[in-house]
Amino acid sequence: MYSNEKKLNNNYPKFAVVGHPNKGKSSIVSSLALDDSVQIGDTPGTTQIKRGFPLKVDGKIIYELFDTPGFQRARRVLSWLNDQEPVSADKRSDVVRAFISAHKNDERFRDEIELLAPIMAGAGIIYVVDASKPYGPEYEVEMEILRWCGQPSMAILNLIGQEDYRDQWKSALGHYFRMVRTFNPIKATFTEHMELLDSMSQLKEEWTKPIKVAISVLEDLQEQKVEQSIESIVNNMLKTLSFVYTYSIRDEPATPDEEKQSKSAYREKIITYEKKQEKNIESIWNHRSIEKIENALVLDNVGLFSKESASIFGLSQQQLIITGASAGAVGGLGIDLLLGGGSFFLGSLIGGAVGGVGAMMGFDNLYEVKVLGQSIGSRELSIGPMQNLNFPYILLGRSLYHASVIAKRSHAIRENINLDNEEFFTEQIIDSEMRKTLEKVHLKLRKDEKPEEEELEAYKKVLMESFLSLLK
Amino acid sequence: MQTKNSKISIKSYLLLSETLDEYRGTHEENRLFALKHNELTDHPKEMLLTWMQKHHFKVTQTSKSESFLHQLSTLGNFIGLFSFIFGFFAGIGLLSYSGEAPVNVIYYLLFAMIIPLLSIYLSIISLLSNQTISNFFSIFFPLHWVEKILGFFIVNEKVDSINKVFSPELKKWMFTSRLQLFSLLFSIGLLLALLFMVVSKDIAFSWSTTLQVAPVEFFKLLACIGIPWGESMPSAIPSVELIEMSHYYRLGGNLDTQMIQNADKLGAWWKYLAMVTLFYAIFLRFLLWLATRYGYQEQLEKDFLSLDGVAKLLRDFKTPYVSTEALKVETHLEIAEETNEQVTHDVSKDYHNIIAWNFSLDELTLVNDSKNIDSFFLNTVGGNHSFKEDQMVAQEAKEMVLLYVKSWEPPTMDFVDFLEELLENKNVYEVKVYPLGTAARHYESNEQEVAIWKRKIQGLKSKKVWVVDV
Repeated sequence: MYSNEKKLNNNYPKFAVVGHPNKGKSSIVSSLALDDSVQIGDTPGTTQIKRGFPLKVDGKIIYELFDTPGFQRARRVLSWLNDQEPVSADKRSDVVRAFISAHKNDERFRDEIELLAPIMAGAGIIYVVDASKPYGPEYEVEMEILRWCGQPSMAILNLIGQEDYRDQWKSALGHYFRMVRTFNPIKATFTEHMELLDSMSQLKEEWTKPIKVAISVLEDLQEQKVEQSIESIVNNMLKTLSFVYTYSIRDEPATPDEEKQSKSAYREKIITYEKKQEKNIESIWNHRSIEKIENALVLDNVGLFSKESASIFGLSQQQLIITGASAGAVGGLGIDLLLGGGSFFLGSLIGGAVGGVGAMMGFDNLYEVKVLGQSIGSRELSIGPMQNLNFPYILLGRSLYHASVIAKRSHAIRENINLDNEEFFTEQIIDSEMRKTLEKVHLKLRKDEKPEEEELEAYKKVLMESFLSLLK
Repeated sequence: MQTKNSKISIKSYLLLSETLDEYRGTHEENRLFALKHNELTDHPKEMLLTWMQKHHFKVTQTSKSESFLHQLSTLGNFIGLFSFIFGFFAGIGLLSYSGEAPVNVIYYLLFAMIIPLLSIYLSIISLLSNQTISNFFSIFFPLHWVEKILGFFIVNEKVDSINKVFSPELKKWMFTSRLQLFSLLFSIGLLLALLFMVVSKDIAFSWSTTLQVAPVEFFKLLACIGIPWGESMPSAIPSVELIEMSHYYRLGGNLDTQMIQNADKLGAWWKYLAMVTLFYAIFLRFLLWLATRYGYQEQLEKDFLSLDGVAKLLRDFKTPYVSTEALKVETHLEIAEETNEQVTHDVSKDYHNIIAWNFSLDELTLVNDSKNIDSFFLNTVGGNHSFKEDQMVAQEAKEMVLLYVKSWEPPTMDFVDFLEELLENKNVYEVKVYPLGTAARHYESNEQEVAIWKRKIQGLKSKKVWVVDV
């Protein structure tokens, strides 16, 4: 145990989140560590071992949070400490160390040892209580043990339920802790998260600087996540709105079945793009295990237009005319040269004209020609780019709404996410002024053109504004 | 390792694109890579090249870019050779002198000056043109045709997918640059043909036109064309006398006798024609080729940084990697399914002992009053009580015991220790654990809280203890 303690004893700030079972310790750690993989449950003992959550920047640890099991036999621990020879206050932590040493193999105190070990290795104490339930004197035993540890400490009032007993708790906790703060890991905003870190930085003078660094790092990270989210949404918009699905058809016109099949494949692809984009957003915000309840993107009412086209050697009629004319002109030029200039380039002119007109007139006949048993022509049915004027806004509304819900979601939440009212948001977040800027890009995509860089920048800016307003 | 000024080539461009198609690395890996190559921080292109070299082996499929480059160079070599040969034979054709009609220099000038100037002009216009025209030019991109036709016959998707990697702008530069090279080779062929014909044949040059052009006017025009070399090489500008002598009228039937007498002088035209070819068809073309090479390189480097995935990679390189995850994997806690074993819904009005865990005596009295339950002995345990006090309560309890607990506080092992002690007491027949809600909720507990108590009590496997769920 001591060797482990030594390993932990590095120079960065460490905080052990401790308390009674089921008071939201893991939720707080999950929220502060931005990690939704932490097991959270209403069954006591969900956390069985201490787990360190280091905030690392380029591999360097800035601070570390420890999630710990709750106190199980606090009275017995305190009783053991009290039974030792009386020592002065400065030696009390040695008695706690002696307890750990004496009971390291005692299964009865497994949880207590797990939670006391990081504290004795220099971690600050973050004592968590549920302030939605009344205070009870049984907590004093735990607080007394923590006082024996002699480490800087603060208490967090977590409001798990509806009732509010914060005043009761504050007057009791004030006797044991330097600082008492309210923090609801389920509802906490990013600003509240930063404020809590700021409070933690005040626990010990040496910790102020690294925690300030951590705050700045996390603020930068938040900004990057916002930018990456917008980038992801814009990329998906560009990809979706310019998407063209092509389907080889046997003959013109396409049969209703071919048309139905290709439209269904087109819709499927658009839905896949959206799902992929959502996954990307979830991964940007470090939400890896989200279950969603959402309305699927409905494309049944969106009119999809199909276009049929034919090609020879993969060249459209226009391309074939250029090819024919060029080939004819080059051939004619050869004849001109052979005549030593006497033809006054008539060869090139005639060759070009014959080649071009021939390609134009003979396109349909050439189409039927077979080379090596294979027809040189092919016919295709294409769907897209999306021509529906309202569709881009539906898609944008959904994306922004989803991204904002994910961005604001605490990592301590384990319930399913409900995304079935995105239509309301579409109207709320994209006003007519924004539409003007967005429409420029949508228009180009509808025409299968690439938007200019400046247009895309303006597009991103508008989306950024609406996204930030949703995050407030 | 790349130097800080490594040039991007089409090969490295394609290899990076190919690598990014297969592998983009995580933020952590990419940032670590950037930190290891700290000296390249301000040189993103070099950093990308180094990254590509490190990861290209991950491309599992046969390299598409290799076959593309092979096709590109084969095609380039073929067209280049063809252009040179075509230029050479075009020159031979233009300078063919049968001994009857002399070679018309105007016709040669058309190929050595007018067409090159026109095509140079068109190339410049296309380079400065917008996207629509550049798209039009991409149709002329040689591989566009090869890829289409090959793709049709041998389903050559390799080339097709590679071709998509190039922007229309880059294709335009590639095409224009290669066009300049092919034109240059054509002009070199033309010049060599001129020299060859001059050396191997006795060519009589003349100028002939239907238009009424006086020799002096024609001289002025030729002198104007020859300004670039007129000062340094005056012998390469035909004199007025030579121009007068070599004016050829087809309707005259035969060659002018004066022309025949001055045949050696007529041959002096070749110097002028050679210089025209050298300056207009070769030198200017060479300059444009250099300019397009430069433009192509610039565009390639610009597009290199716009390749799909590069923005993410550069961001990963630049942005500190922040991680907050635990290193230790958490063991998943198996939660037993809820059953009704050892659960009772009945609460009697009288008990021999009522014990309250973590309650004060006042609170216990209030609860009893509220629930209208009575007992001979009321005790509180847990909280600030000592183990001895708790032990005494457990040992002195008898018959039916009601044990109040705070429903919102989950059962700790401290409680279990006490309960086990109570259950060991043979005088106790039955213990009913009654989870109570807060006073504000009139001691009503909620389902979720009671479920936790049920699971804990069921886990003890004792038939003496029950959980009250009312």
